[in-house]
Amino acid sequence: MFRRYLSSTARNWNSAVTTTNDIVIIGGGPAGLSLASAIKTSPILKDLKCTLIEGNKLIDSLESYYNNPPEYIDKRVVSITPTSMDFLKKIGGWDYVKHDRIETYDNIHTYDSISGAKMEFDSPELATMIENINIQSMLYQNIKRANNESTENELILLDNTKVIKIEEDPHSEWPILELSNGNKIKTRLLIGCDGYNSPVRKFAQIESRGWSYNRWGNVATCKYRDNEIRLSTGWQRFLTTGTLALLPLPNNWCSLVWSVPPEISNILNKLNDEQFKFMINAAAKLSEGELKYLYQIADNDSDKLIDEIKWRLEIFNNKPTNNSEDYPLEIEFIVPNSRAKFPLKLSNADSYIEDRIALVGDAAHTTNPLAGQGLNMGQADVKSLVETLEKSYMRGLDIGSKIALEPYWSDRYLPNHVMLGIVDKIHKIYSTDFTPIVWARSFGVNVLNNVPFIKDFMVQQISHKD
Amino acid sequence: MFRRFSTVSRHFNAGKSNFTSITQSEKEHFQQLASTWWDSHGSQRILHKMNILRMDFISDNVRSHIKVNADAETDDEKLFIPGWNHENILPKEISNQINKELDDATWNMYKEMKLQCLDIGCGGGLLSESLARLPNVEKVTGIDMTPEVIEVANQHKLLDPMLSNKLEYKLTSLDDIPNSNKYDIVTCMEMLEHVDYPAIVLDKALSHVKPGGYFFLSTINRDLVSWFTTIFMGEHILKIVPLGTHTFSKYIKESEIRAFVNTLKNEFEIIDSKGCAYLPAVGWFYTPSSNIGNYMMALKRKEVVEPVVLVKEEAK
Ligand SMILES: Cc1cc2nc3c(=O)[nH]c(=O)nc-3n(C[C@H](O)[C@H](O)[C@H](O)COP(=O)(O)OP(=O)(O)OC[C@H]3O[C@@H](n4cnc5c(N)ncnc54)[C@H](O)[C@@H]3O)c2cc1C
Ligand SMILES: C[S@@+](CC[C@H](N)C(=O)[O-])C[C@H]1O[C@@H](n2cnc3c(N)ncnc32)[C@H](O)[C@@H]1O
Repeated sequence: MFRRYLSSTARNWNSAVTTTNDIVIIGGGPAGLSLASAIKTSPILKDLKCTLIEGNKLIDSLESYYNNPPEYIDKRVVSITPTSMDFLKKIGGWDYVKHDRIETYDNIHTYDSISGAKMEFDSPELATMIENINIQSMLYQNIKRANNESTENELILLDNTKVIKIEEDPHSEWPILELSNGNKIKTRLLIGCDGYNSPVRKFAQIESRGWSYNRWGNVATCKYRDNEIRLSTGWQRFLTTGTLALLPLPNNWCSLVWSVPPEISNILNKLNDEQFKFMINAAAKLSEGELKYLYQIADNDSDKLIDEIKWRLEIFNNKPTNNSEDYPLEIEFIVPNSRAKFPLKLSNADSYIEDRIALVGDAAHTTNPLAGQGLNMGQADVKSLVETLEKSYMRGLDIGSKIALEPYWSDRYLPNHVMLGIVDKIHKIYSTDFTPIVWARSFGVNVLNNVPFIKDFMVQQISHKD
Repeated sequence: MFRRFSTVSRHFNAGKSNFTSITQSEKEHFQQLASTWWDSHGSQRILHKMNILRMDFISDNVRSHIKVNADAETDDEKLFIPGWNHENILPKEISNQINKELDDATWNMYKEMKLQCLDIGCGGGLLSESLARLPNVEKVTGIDMTPEVIEVANQHKLLDPMLSNKLEYKLTSLDDIPNSNKYDIVTCMEMLEHVDYPAIVLDKALSHVKPGGYFFLSTINRDLVSWFTTIFMGEHILKIVPLGTHTFSKYIKESEIRAFVNTLKNEFEIIDSKGCAYLPAVGWFYTPSSNIGNYMMALKRKEVVEPVVLVKEEAK
């Protein structure tokens, strides 16, 4: 009716359609696999004909992760809330988690580079750090088990298969997908779990509004110096150039997320792992002025960088007013090939539903990883969508029709919008060095720290507790 | 001025088909609505939203009458059904587990029901399609007397392959359904307020319910609130209901239907009756009273006809 051809209607569209499905999910990321797993474990939805399509070679890597977990923690690590964890338990995935590779912590030290204002978030079980692939792997194992239990109506998982074209049946208006393996699937409901470039969103002509922060997120898996054992704590330092976060992993490992403007990101990219490691240690402690100078050295004279940082850190560490408890331990080792960078952006699609279409996870919204909410918002989407589908199915509605999908949209859009707003505001408050704002900011943080009610509200938002 | 919903009409000669037939003016009205029937985000939104609450009403009533242990032959086969407040007494995990097992058992029995349904005055088929998609329904027959709406219903049915074997529409009057056709569920939604002899239609409709089967209706009370909300606000002010949809004098009070069913109380019981209302930002919701505004009613036919207790009408 309203849309929408990514490309012109293929001739002979009908004769080439190989199967008709109730649900097709595009994307085998955390959102797509949780959705598939939740559908397969729902007593109401489990007999629907459902296919998940993933462009990458997923199954082999998930099997090999599950059977022979790699030595080092992967660089894509996310922080999940107790609510997300409960959901993963409910849909059965958690039975297959690799426990020794996750870390739960209940404390985040937040400090800033200019005023020294501090904020500590404290809450029972604030968050659990877990590899993206650990989540994917447990969900995949769970889907396998569910498929073994009901062999007559398996959920089909096609990996290494790209959706190359989406068009619309001119008569029924159901989407028809053309796959890289030559097959065509027609479906009652198409769910885009296909990440922030979502082809499904584009097909549905749903606008996604947002902005890029002109910041790059740099990630790496690191190990703290082993000379001191500390309780698991997350560290976040707000620098005017962006946030430096070190989030805890088992056995004194940690996960770095450091957001910087493109100029600095380019400089950091040129450094080798050893130099990069020193740069992290500098960024966790030294003043903005010193850091500015160090970026210059890194850019023009990188051979001198390590000595320069060593010298400055020694002075810093020996200063009696600098209490080492107030700062993270220094990084001693960076896992080879664990460094990566990605652009920070914030966006929210105008709608998460259309006739025959639903968007879930990053396809619907992206956030900066500062508050670690990207994945959690996706899990909440999945939970809500599955409940909506169950209800609509019980009501005999066509589960692909817009009216059947409406509760999902009204349930999720606003909370996601609020969360994106909070994350955005934190980012904006903390990325300026314009003095009056810095004052207001530290004042704000100090106030936050002293007014438990406001802090509790923020902790609640970040951990989705109620 | 108001037509009485006469209980005496049960004894009308039901053989005269004109009593259950559609009037010309109603037919013309629905002819005009036919083309927009499935416009769930336009002029028919209220009816589409109402369908959601009606389906909840129907399935909640059917589900709540499932007896989980009916087929169990020994105690071992029986599922443990704890007291009503077990959630407060038992540990959460156990009571959750019990609830889950009961839900699963009810759901499994529900799924296996294979119900036959008759939807009278089906219009473009909102309720008929929804019924036909239910896992516990085997077959739905939708009947209506306006050719254009039946045409729309048939066209729309083609869009969903899962309906092709489960749903059938007929352009026919209720009278032309053979007496021997019996159904587990008979429905009459938003229709009684459009006919001239609702008691005759109701009586005839009930005659098609199998023993143990259900009859569901939804209609509008004849009261000031109904006039205000459906005709004055709905049609004239907010214009969210197509003009001319309702004729106030044809509205039927819930108490009138109740009195009528009472004359059949050895065969039928009213198992549920709920008022409902619509607010644009909220959708449809149940109201505390079924005597005001819109309402839905559920009747269940007894498995066996209870002995007739003769109450002389004249004596009352
Ligand atoms: C490098 C990196 C680091 C991150 N770090 C953090 C972090 O520290 N904390 C945090 O909270 N979040 C982080 N995020 C964000 C987080 O990973 C996402 O929020 C999360 O993965 C979203 O899951 P998703 O399933 O919605 O989408 P994705 O994980 O993006 O999955 C989308 C899937 O769809 C598939 N796909 C797309 N198009 C097609 C097609 N045409 N045909 C077939 N398949 C297709 C893709 O191959 C992909 O597997 C990070 C993201 C990146 C890229
Ligand atoms: C308001 S519509 C309701 C349609 C449908 N039951 C629903 O609620 O979605 C009323 C329908 O009843 C039909 N109708 C009215 N009088 C009738 C009669 N005597 N016999 C059969 N159908 C009739 C009309 O053609 C119209 O389609």
